[in-house]
Amino acid sequence: MANQDFVGVPSQIDTQSLSGASSEFQRLRRGLLFNYLVLGAGAILMVVPFIWMISTSFKPQAETVSFPPRLFPISPTISNYIDVFDRANMGRLYWNTTFISVIKTVFNIYTSALLGYIFGKFVFRGRDIIFYILLSTWIIPFEVYLIPLYLMTVQVGWADTFTALIVPEIFTVYAMFMFRQFMYTIPTELIDAARIDGAGEWYIFHRIIIPLSRAALFTLVAFYFMWNWNDFLWPLVVISDHDKYVITVGLATFVGEFWNQYGVIMAGASLAIIPILALFIAVQRFIIEGVVLTGLKG
Amino acid sequence: MIQTFVQRFTGNRSTLRAAEHRFIVIALIPTILFYAIVKFYPIFFSFFISMHEWSLFGNVSPFVGFDNYALLAKDSLFYKVMWNTMYRTFAGTFLGAFCSLIVALILNPIKRGSILLRLIYFLPVMTSVIASATIWKWMLQTRFGLLNQLLSVVGIQPVPWLQSTTWAMPSIIVMGIWGGIGFTVIIYLAGLKGIPRDYYEAAEIDGASSIQLALKITLPLLKPVVSFVLITGVIGGFSGGFQAIYMMTGGGPLDSTRVLALHIYDYAFQRMFMGQASSMSFVLFAIVLILTLVQFKLQRVDWEL
Repeated sequence: MANQDFVGVPSQIDTQSLSGASSEFQRLRRGLLFNYLVLGAGAILMVVPFIWMISTSFKPQAETVSFPPRLFPISPTISNYIDVFDRANMGRLYWNTTFISVIKTVFNIYTSALLGYIFGKFVFRGRDIIFYILLSTWIIPFEVYLIPLYLMTVQVGWADTFTALIVPEIFTVYAMFMFRQFMYTIPTELIDAARIDGAGEWYIFHRIIIPLSRAALFTLVAFYFMWNWNDFLWPLVVISDHDKYVITVGLATFVGEFWNQYGVIMAGASLAIIPILALFIAVQRFIIEGVVLTGLKG
Repeated sequence: MIQTFVQRFTGNRSTLRAAEHRFIVIALIPTILFYAIVKFYPIFFSFFISMHEWSLFGNVSPFVGFDNYALLAKDSLFYKVMWNTMYRTFAGTFLGAFCSLIVALILNPIKRGSILLRLIYFLPVMTSVIASATIWKWMLQTRFGLLNQLLSVVGIQPVPWLQSTTWAMPSIIVMGIWGGIGFTVIIYLAGLKGIPRDYYEAAEIDGASSIQLALKITLPLLKPVVSFVLITGVIGGFSGGFQAIYMMTGGGPLDSTRVLALHIYDYAFQRMFMGQASSMSFVLFAIVLILTLVQFKLQRVDWEL
């Protein structure tokens, strides 16, 4: 019964001992042991950078450059963190980044759900052509937009404002596409029934479609919040006032100023990473299942 | 279902049409305006800029026709940048796809702890590249970095990872694989879920070994997913790499990690050659467009799923 679970496990080669419950059990142990060993080694490689970041961030300057490397600091200190808050204006960076990410994500998801619904559930002339024209912008690299959008931003007087960070990214193609896919799982009868009961179109969208799209919605909210939080190039180009920096740009600038104070830099990196990581671990079940759910298929 | 079908063909819904129509129009007008202004106009504007000697300062931007493109064709630095971009793109994509495939294949049969393992592999995906590049730069530091300190234990002399023209690009590629593996693994796992179990059961009854199962069933059936990962990886790779390289090497040493995205940014916003930078962004656009068309040809993407 468990045989099919061993796909791609090189250690499970002997098919002779297929019969017998005890050999079955041994095969299971041996097969999965190999898997766990390899995945465990890989997992260590994945987390070492994070562990080393946290470890360094609690070390006084002299200890960061001592040999041999130590996982646990001899005299742990939080002075690096205090330094970051004092000198990098961390509170401000957190507030700016949160504010912009929340607003952008709300716009991204709302507009995408609306368009996904319209392109997925309505029949009107020109629907497909409009959809594919919008979708085609997906392939255009952001570098193509960088210069013209910057000049346009300066032209309308939005340089160095949050407006410039938010407005050009209100609509987004990826989430729209995902919502349109998701609409095929919602029965059209439901919408028709609501119409017959006299529900208005906006009421149907807000009270039926959005609640029914919860699964796709949560995943896309999480991903867009992460992407918006981690956005770098556009804020780097558009914002020059330090008080309006977002966290990525703030960290990059900070690293440039304190390039040889490794403890302080790692404290800064920790502070940039930890909020988003904590948020994600809290909702991770949704996300990992949601990638599958929203239909990422070749 | 039958009811909807009948309604659709008898025009029973015509009384509702006006409200629906208004709904669609109200939603689509701002959308189309947005896309026209923010997504389509800038492309033409960018092309217009690439036809000029455009500088942010100074009010004169003389028209130069295709001179910017001609300059690129003669610029040895640009060829170097293109080579670096392709090196990073192809090495990163293929190695990354391979590592993720191995992880996905051995992660797939696991039940206990699989969520924790997926989460661990996914951690770098959630981390901003700016932050991870900061950590990696510190770990790869020549004298005090963790990697060289560990290597010295086994007697290997310190390697100046990010200051060496040989090692800087591989270092950035490895960091990129570390950063992206979790996402690709999840795509593969979704693909593996789609393979019917009966195939394996039938093959096992015929006495197939697990290696045979992997080579004869899993890989062929996973081929569309693998090629999806490779093609999107290559397309994304041409315009990618900016954040990691900006933070770790700034394009150096001796331009050995200068990739297209960084080069465009550098020309446009550091050296203020916006016309020249726009012409480069159009070369990038052309490459991505061609690759996408090739993808459509090779692999009829099933948009409807």
